[in-house]
Amino acid sequence: MIDISSPADPADGLAAVVALRRLAEQLEAAEVERAMRAGWSWPEVAEALGVTRQAVHKKHAKRLIAAGVQLRRR
Amino acid sequence: MFERFTQSARAAVTDAEHVAREMGAMTVEAEHLLLAVTGTDTRTARVLHAAGLDEEGLREALIAETTRSLAAVGVSVDALHFSPYVKSPKLGHSAKLVLERALKIALARGDKHIGAEHLTLAALQPSVGTVPRALECAGVDRVSVITALSA
Repeated sequence: MIDISSPADPADGLAAVVALRRLAEQLEAAEVERAMRAGWSWPEVAEALGVTRQAVHKKHAKRLIAAGVQLRRR
Repeated sequence: MFERFTQSARAAVTDAEHVAREMGAMTVEAEHLLLAVTGTDTRTARVLHAAGLDEEGLREALIAETTRSLAAVGVSVDALHFSPYVKSPKLGHSAKLVLERALKIALARGDKHIGAEHLTLAALQPSVGTVPRALECAGVDRVSVITALSA
């Protein structure tokens, strides 16, 4: 279980913010790729992330195509 | 703004983009510039290596810093695997600050060119943030490195 509580030192808390932002970006890259490899469509991934289709496509399509992932049209 | 940069400083900026992309970063940050400098053939790189900051050492320190920062809020994570982005990442705020500070340092010292040394001094200037924390994780004294570089 993840129990987020404030560290004693604000330097650790602020560094955690930076590390969590990086982690969220990397997790998005990994999970979008996993979903697309599993045959999800762009609208489904967009819906699950709560962003527009255009946004998720613009951000991830090129790298997935370059990696040879078979993408569903719809 | 790069016209006053030495060849090795330019190479470091370009290499920092590759380093950032390969590490899965969305933007080039100060730590990527510093990592790129460790791979240049310069006196600065040799001073960094002597302090324990060769490329491998700094990479390990950055991973340790991330692990420690996430642990501070109770998060632990295994390495995530994903295909890299195609486009080179843009310069993030901390990297832009390094370039600005490197220029100021060069001007203050009356140096005509901005080299690996100025980039490194600029990256090591702040006492808070990812770079100083990574150095702390590696047991490297930031101020001693700055002194060794300025000597």
